[in-house]
Amino acid sequence: MIIEVLSTGSVSSSGMGLLGVPENCAQMAFPGSSALHPVALVDQKHPELLKWSKEPRLRRASSLSYFLIEAAHQALAPCPQIDRSRVGVVSAFFLGCVDYSIKFYRQITNEGRRFGSPILFPETVFNTPVSHVVATLGLGGPVYSQIGDKSCWVSALRTAECWLRNGSADHVIVLAAEEFDPHVLSALQASRLLKKDLPIADGAGAVLLSAKEVGTGVKLAGVHDGYCFANKSQALQAASACLSEIPLSVPVLSSGNGWNANQIRSMGPQREWLFDKKLNGEAFTASAAWETIRGIQLLQELNLPHLAIPHWGMTQQHGCIHLTR
Amino acid sequence: MRDGLLFSNEEMSCQIPASKSMSEPAARVAITGYGCVTALGMDASSSWDALLQRKSARGPVTEISVEGCRVTEGAQARLPDLPGYSQKQISKLSRASRLLIPAAREALGQAGLLETNGMCALARMESSISTTASGMEMGEGFLQSVWNNQPRGQASLLARYQAQQQIGDLHRILGFSGPCTLIANACASGSNSIGHAADLIRCGMADVILAGGYDALCELVFCGFDSLLTLAPEACRPFDRGRNGLMLGEGAAFLILEKEARAQARGAGIYGFVAGYGHTTDTGHLTLPNQKGLPIEVAVRQALKAADIEPDEIGYINAHGTATPYNDTAEARAYSRIFSNSPARLSSTKAAIGHTLGAAGSIEAVLSLLALQNGELPPQINVRDPEPDVADRLVKIGEKSKLDYALNVNLGFGGSTAALVLSRS
Repeated sequence: MIIEVLSTGSVSSSGMGLLGVPENCAQMAFPGSSALHPVALVDQKHPELLKWSKEPRLRRASSLSYFLIEAAHQALAPCPQIDRSRVGVVSAFFLGCVDYSIKFYRQITNEGRRFGSPILFPETVFNTPVSHVVATLGLGGPVYSQIGDKSCWVSALRTAECWLRNGSADHVIVLAAEEFDPHVLSALQASRLLKKDLPIADGAGAVLLSAKEVGTGVKLAGVHDGYCFANKSQALQAASACLSEIPLSVPVLSSGNGWNANQIRSMGPQREWLFDKKLNGEAFTASAAWETIRGIQLLQELNLPHLAIPHWGMTQQHGCIHLTR
Repeated sequence: MRDGLLFSNEEMSCQIPASKSMSEPAARVAITGYGCVTALGMDASSSWDALLQRKSARGPVTEISVEGCRVTEGAQARLPDLPGYSQKQISKLSRASRLLIPAAREALGQAGLLETNGMCALARMESSISTTASGMEMGEGFLQSVWNNQPRGQASLLARYQAQQQIGDLHRILGFSGPCTLIANACASGSNSIGHAADLIRCGMADVILAGGYDALCELVFCGFDSLLTLAPEACRPFDRGRNGLMLGEGAAFLILEKEARAQARGAGIYGFVAGYGHTTDTGHLTLPNQKGLPIEVAVRQALKAADIEPDEIGYINAHGTATPYNDTAEARAYSRIFSNSPARLSSTKAAIGHTLGAAGSIEAVLSLLALQNGELPPQINVRDPEPDVADRLVKIGEKSKLDYALNVNLGFGGSTAALVLSRS
């Protein structure tokens, strides 16, 4: 079965449908501290996002929901002919609805356990944003929300492959999105995953896949998932095992901003590594989606026959996708 | 798009997938092992026995802070021992990991995939696992530590919070690794994880999968359901006209799913099959199911079609049956249409073991499998004045029936709806 990328969508600090290097990043304070860290955040007042606030269902929806809907909308826009009742949606999350979850927990902590908002609580659930996507855009295929570290993006692509293979859907939108809350800085710092010069970002990415139609000419040739690790030394071994799935003749996009990206690159000196601009800061699964979208662009711009895009997880596993033209 | 548009009668048939695109007949998906931890028992057989004895696990919730909530009772599990692990090692695990590891170990053992040292016999095995709250108590602890300016111990809390870290615990303690799809489709997830695993096997993307779900009680989720006024202040009464809410519970359950030919080749016992799977999204409202039960009907018909059976071949339905007014109405109406000419018996085991959220579909699949194997049906407890649409179907105490097929249905926030058809071996 040939799975083709029909179109893509993205929401980032660079704008709607744009990927770029973050410039003039804002500085965000850690909770309860004057320490600052650079952040590359989506302009939530952007008209393309605000237009969705007219949907009654989205009045109280999280920013995560808005990012997802806009990214999915962009991916669907070039393909008006497709039957939306046969479009599946699978979305990857690392943090989920972190803003509302923290707000709700603060309410029950500060105001008392029976004073949590019944309006807020359902919006904290992982699959709520994806439910908003399918309701707003009228999509009728299978729907999954998947969670994990950055490599969850690869698992989501694998789910899409399964649905296209077994006929559950004619098209699948694979999404990833993250929203920002200052507590994320504290969490990354405590876990020693915060890099001084790396802005933490939010946003979303979308890739529309089909097994029936021709789109960008870029095909998903392989999805390699599940190279697990429990510590840094295992992470390097897992990266090596993951890369071994890709033929040496295939160039590898030097993706990832994580603590181990440089070490992993040094493990494969015999490979051709493609170094590209660092996109939009670190937004976990959304970064994985952006790197895939950038890989699709590079295949077209550089007229490459193949490209591998690894997605280095931070806490769980690595995965890699193989694109061809 | 509103539910009236998505689920009009004309479109319902469109929602049921056409014939599969695969050219070869799909592999049969055998169940070669199962295990669970519930508030009624620390393994599948003790949970099953207690269920047949009409026990309910309802009691005061003591393991998490619920003081001040409107309702302070639920179905709290006793955590099984982890043989070979010291108290110090065990104390480093989240409550969620304490539930999921014994359940997975039981399933692997039953499938003949556990070495004498307690480790998995396969170095690499795929898993498809569901949860809604992961190790939430660790996340709560982290927030408290930030707010109280106590940085010490934060890294340890974070290392046990997210779902992938429970999977790391599972891999480390049972000695295997491999791809893991972590599905978070709210309370339908437990059925989704099993259905997805079956999909992967049928389309040749995997041979053997550990499939199931887990969730532990936690303050944020308990208070969330309390805020929605959905917790039953007294006994949980699914499909009773006087029902007034659900009972939160906790637990974990796993199945070992395997391509039938693979199971036969290694001489594994086959306890049943995952015969069909359907799933839809009710887009009308985040928490209120379509009151005609149309998305449920579509999901069930998808699962029946995938299993290639008619509704009258289903002998037992393990319903979602949360005992909230709206959920049970939607389900009862859907079943009254689908099974209008069918004798299918029905019960919700949530009255006994509680609503275990991301684990619910998986625990209920294990219970349905045991019903298929034993020919005994889990009785509907706590019902006094049954909902008319299902009154004649509710399983009575001591009912026995030789079943060929059982149906599991689960619904979740966001409109996630999943149906599984299991068949006897």
